[in-house]
Order: sequence, then structure tokens, then C-alpha cells
Amino acid sequence: MAPTKKAKKSTENINNKLQLVMKSGKYTLGYKTVLKTLRSSKGKLIILANNCPPLRKSEIEYYAMLAKISVHHFHGNNVDLGTACGKYYRVCCLSIIDPGDSDIISTTPGTQ
Amino acid sequence: MVKFLKPGKAVILLQGRYAGRKAVIVRVFEEGTRDRPYGHCLVAGLAKYPKKVIRKDSAKKTAKKSRVKCFLKLVNFTHLMPTRYTLDVDLKDVASGGPDALASSDKKVAAAKSAKARLEERFKTGKNRWFFTKLRF
Repeated sequence: MAPTKKAKKSTENINNKLQLVMKSGKYTLGYKTVLKTLRSSKGKLIILANNCPPLRKSEIEYYAMLAKISVHHFHGNNVDLGTACGKYYRVCCLSIIDPGDSDIISTTPGTQ
Repeated sequence: MVKFLKPGKAVILLQGRYAGRKAVIVRVFEEGTRDRPYGHCLVAGLAKYPKKVIRKDSAKKTAKKSRVKCFLKLVNFTHLMPTRYTLDVDLKDVASGGPDALASSDKKVAAAKSAKARLEERFKTGKNRWFFTKLRF
């Protein structure tokens, strides 16, 4: 019971942190811009939805490995990730450039 | 947060006539130029990979099989797939030509010839074997 409860709590935390980033920080949504931020090494954290196509997922992970940027696999599909970002569209991958007031960068990496 | 599209990085071209070919970044134009207002780089790549050399090949045949055809191209970053490999071949005289190395066709040919010589001698040393094998797809 305890492990599942902890997992649920951490997804909630991610959602809250994402909300804060959307409000106060800089981010980009979408595959093309994510690759752009990876190439220029401007991204600090990449978040991928769980139904991201495996080829695209491995490509983004490879770029992130080269750029030494951490990747977080969101527990939810692109619809959920879009909702977590407060958008009314689907988001498969997003890149956080500047976290603003959020501590999402410091508390989430280690997931690469 | 490490920039990885630097001179010496081995990349694979994704678009164009040379799609699927391996190349090495010679010079990077991060912010673009007037004619190309996007991030791009000059790459030197293998138009024709060297053929497989076997033990019973004569010296003449080995020399013929180890030949390499090189190309130089200005490529948009979005049309490249970077790899974890690097190729520290000093293509300085190709790089110093820079944007005007590809301006006129005879300068281009001269630059391609010098790049070809460098790549061939690197192939003959047997290092960077990954770079000189064709990508199968």
C-alpha cells in the first residue's frame, strides 16, 4: 500500500511543479522545439509522455545523453501531460528552459 | 547542458542526396549567416565509403579499395543526427576556407580534395573504424 501511495504522491508533486513552471518559468512544448533546445543546450529538463513513440523517445533520450540534460518520463499520456501543463491540447514532450520559482530541476533529475 | 555540435563530432545526414552518410562537423555557424538565417554547419562526409579489404588483395587492389570520395556541405542542424563518436581529423585548411570555401566550384573541389586526403590517411591508420563503415538501413 505504501509504495503505491508514494508513487501517487510524486506524480501529484510533478503536476504541481509543472504548474508552477508554466506560471513563472520558461518552457517549450512539442518535439521540434524540444530538439532545438537540446541542440543549443538551453533546456534544463525534458519531460516525455508515456505514449511517446519509442523511436522519438529514444531519439530525445540520445540527444539528452549527448547534452547531459536529464529526461523525466511522465506517468501519463500526452493528453494528461497537456492537461498538467494547463493546455487544452496534447503535449508529447516538453522542455523546461528556465524553471522560474519551481524546484523541479533540483528535485527530479536522476531519471535519465 | 553541454554543447555537443562542435567541430570534430561525427554526425549522420538525414536529408538530401547524402542522407544516411556519415560526416564530421568541420565548422559550426551557430547563429546562421545572412544567406542562411538558421543554425547550420559545414560538414565533410563520405560520399563513397572505402570498400572492404581482404587479406589476399594485392597492394594495388588495397590502394584502390581504400579510396574514399568526400563531400563538403552546409547542412541545417535539423537535418543531422549527432552521434556519440568524434573524429579528430584536423581539417583546418578546409575550415579556414569557411563560408567562401564553398563559394566557387574550383575552391570547393580543392577543399574536397584536401578533405579526401585527410580522411583517407585516417582510414589507413585503422582508427575510427565506425566512421568508415557504411550505415546499413
